[in-house]
Amino acid sequence: MMRRMTRLVDHQTIWPWLLLLPLAVYLLVFFAVPLIEVLKMSVTEPKPGLGNYQKVFTGALYGKVFLNTFGTATLVTVCCLIVGYPLAYLMSNTTPRRAMMILLLITMSFWTSFLVRTYAWMVLLGNNGPIIWLIEMIGIADPPGLLFTRFSSTLAMVHILAPYMIMNIYSVMKKIDPVLIRSAESMGARGGSLFRHIYLPLTAPGIANGAVLVFVICLGFYVTPVLLGSPREQMVAGLIGNQIEQFLAFGLGSAMAVVLLVITLIVLGIYHSRFGLDKLWG
Amino acid sequence: MNTFVRWLGYLFVIFIAAPLLVVVPMSFSTSSSLEFPPPGLSLQYYEKFFSDPAWLRPAWNSILIASATTILTMILVIPATFALVRHRFWGKGIANLMMMMPLAVPHIVMAVGYYSYFGELRLVHTHLGVILAHTCLSVPITFLVLSANLKGFDRTLEQAARSLGASPRRVFLHITLPILRPGLMISALFAFIQSFDETVVAIFISGRGAETLPRKMFDSIRQEADPVIAVVSTLLFVAVILGLLAPQIVKAVQSALGRSARNASE
Amino acid sequence: MSNSTRSKLIRPSRRQFLHGTAALAAGTLAAPSIGRAQSKELYVNSWGGPWLEAATASLFDPFTAATGIKVNTVSPVSFAKLAAQVRTGVYEFDVTTLGGGDIIAANNAGLLEDIDSPYDGGLFQNGVASHAFSTVIAWRTDKYEEAPQNWADFWDVERFPGGRSLQRYAARVLPLALLADGVAMEDLYPLDIERAFAKLDEIKPHIRVWWTAGAQSTQILRDGEIDMIGIWHGRYFEAEDAGAPVAMTWNQSEVDRAYWVVAKNTPNMDAAKEFVKFATSPEPLAGFATLGNYGALNPAALEFVPDEAKPRMPTSPDNYANAFEQDMANWGGDPQEVALRFDEWLAT
Repeated sequence: MMRRMTRLVDHQTIWPWLLLLPLAVYLLVFFAVPLIEVLKMSVTEPKPGLGNYQKVFTGALYGKVFLNTFGTATLVTVCCLIVGYPLAYLMSNTTPRRAMMILLLITMSFWTSFLVRTYAWMVLLGNNGPIIWLIEMIGIADPPGLLFTRFSSTLAMVHILAPYMIMNIYSVMKKIDPVLIRSAESMGARGGSLFRHIYLPLTAPGIANGAVLVFVICLGFYVTPVLLGSPREQMVAGLIGNQIEQFLAFGLGSAMAVVLLVITLIVLGIYHSRFGLDKLWG
Repeated sequence: MNTFVRWLGYLFVIFIAAPLLVVVPMSFSTSSSLEFPPPGLSLQYYEKFFSDPAWLRPAWNSILIASATTILTMILVIPATFALVRHRFWGKGIANLMMMMPLAVPHIVMAVGYYSYFGELRLVHTHLGVILAHTCLSVPITFLVLSANLKGFDRTLEQAARSLGASPRRVFLHITLPILRPGLMISALFAFIQSFDETVVAIFISGRGAETLPRKMFDSIRQEADPVIAVVSTLLFVAVILGLLAPQIVKAVQSALGRSARNASE
Repeated sequence: MSNSTRSKLIRPSRRQFLHGTAALAAGTLAAPSIGRAQSKELYVNSWGGPWLEAATASLFDPFTAATGIKVNTVSPVSFAKLAAQVRTGVYEFDVTTLGGGDIIAANNAGLLEDIDSPYDGGLFQNGVASHAFSTVIAWRTDKYEEAPQNWADFWDVERFPGGRSLQRYAARVLPLALLADGVAMEDLYPLDIERAFAKLDEIKPHIRVWWTAGAQSTQILRDGEIDMIGIWHGRYFEAEDAGAPVAMTWNQSEVDRAYWVVAKNTPNMDAAKEFVKFATSPEPLAGFATLGNYGALNPAALEFVPDEAKPRMPTSPDNYANAFEQDMANWGGDPQEVALRFDEWLAT
């Protein structure tokens, strides 16, 4: 009996690990090792030491780019919230058919490649595009160029990341019991106070989820800022790419990558300690 | 307040829809510039896409790489998901975290790592290199979808089959697998799309013979805003719509078939 | 369910797994080897656009016809890629063209294969001189009634308000800044780097795009994303031919020489060297220069260039009279260091 028990316990702990083994080995070889490679390069290239990190933390350019990245990520997150909240509200307070249509649209947008959406914004904001045309129609003779500015890259990023926010807020908002709203209204809650006391607390988890996702993805965004942004307002990912591709500065690029990774992990870590990471993407 | 928020909501619906609406007409443009609305309509850029190996080759590479990535990901993730959902064991928390890590690391960081590491292994610019990298990046999403399905799995069905004398193999093949099939299909689809859409790592490590479609598109947008991009975008867009509507289409076809079968029998 | 049955239950999937991996590995490993079997292929780094059209018609297709070697192109042209190839051992291209700004650095860094000159005086730093191209001032005629004359006008945002664009390439941009600051063309070299950066500070807020690819410069000029641009002459003519309201001047144009080079230790070495020889031989080069409006640098090619092609060539006497040449040997600093500084300057 005793022997059977030990066998059972061993079996119970070893068997799942056997199932996990191929993936664990795979991730070790093809995920962890390249990551460690980045870490290693950051302290060995071009010569051993912490010189690259010193550069990242003291060089005017790198500090500015990190600050700019933070600023942009915050701005994009706030804009996504401004876009996402009314949309989620509309979806949960309209006919099921309309809600379905909007949901389909957002899903469609979500599944459309980043590149396609970035290209679409190039068309929309271009000098021969509809938005400049509209501005000219209103009577502004010499409209400012919209493309290759902070505005164009921010707008496109908001558009690309908004679905994450909308889906997260919508998933909590549709669970709000209409009876609760009606009874609150019958007790005199209107507009602002209804929002403050009912909607905000009940949708807070969705907002937190959406905001963390948008913020974290935005921190490491490469494609859109590189294609649409202004050269004066680079983001970290673009600068890393440039260091590697243009200057073969593997060490400096890696050091920036490590800093970016650490910041990302800190943000996710804070979220994890409060809500649990598994909820973020679930 | 209420109506104001609603109108704001509708405004943002337009914001979400607008970029999706411009791409399709752009693909039929006669102009080589980013002119919208297009000055005239033609199929010239479709012709260019379907006749130019510089576009077809990346498209084919992407399909190949995404398919192989899907297979490899599923082979690795299915057993791991069973372990994590159906077993309790020491180290489970760590294992869970391990599965999710590729989602937490910005792709640009991985791109730098792969560029150097795969360079040493002579895997840069090979199909295999891109597949190996994409498989890592596809693990979390595939695991999330599959584990959600497996958690909702009613195990009493398996137990019932066992108690009726079915062998474990039969149970797996005739109970577990069929019930899990939709979940497996969806998670495989996620793995495929993850690989097919992945851009940043592909920019760094795919090239020459193994260039993927997103890399080609990125280069093309950065270099010349070639209208062929609109064609590719439209094709991808149609694929997304078909994908989203696929269940409805299948249902419609099935019910039509069912009806005609019934009619035939009557 | 007992544990043994559970383990049996999952075993089939593990067996499938092993089979699957083996098959997959075999399949994917086979793919590149198929590519290797037909190794009569050459990868050439391409500038795209009119360059590619001219090169395909006059160089690639005739070369394939003569030798049976297929030519593939890879873009964009990048000095860093050339260096990365040697570092990583993975060759994206076998042959590329380098401007004077890069070739010295590339050769010093050992990135270039030794090569013999196919014609007299054609060899420079292991590159074979192919053609000359120019960076010129171009602008939108729907924006400016008066034509800008020189780089000082390019910098003059009071008289010529509007968005500007220059190449994101320090070696080519710094001399332009000094010209704008009043330095005479003959006194440019060695460059006063500090003075150039100080002058660049003035124009920086007005540069909407630092273009990185030739096609991009055509697109932003043609679509009017910017109003005035420092652009390669071939790219300018592409926009003009597309019917865009644009004009240019050869005055103070900056002439660069492009050299064919073979990447060090490339696996397709013989084909690569053969191609370079072919591409700089008189008739193919003349065809290429005529189609692409370049100045052929092999003197023997000039007799094959028709007269009507000459007005668009930077080296024809009328155009060359108002031009200056890049002098990389006497440049005034380490171009690589200045490039790094330039990039930091851009982002701050």
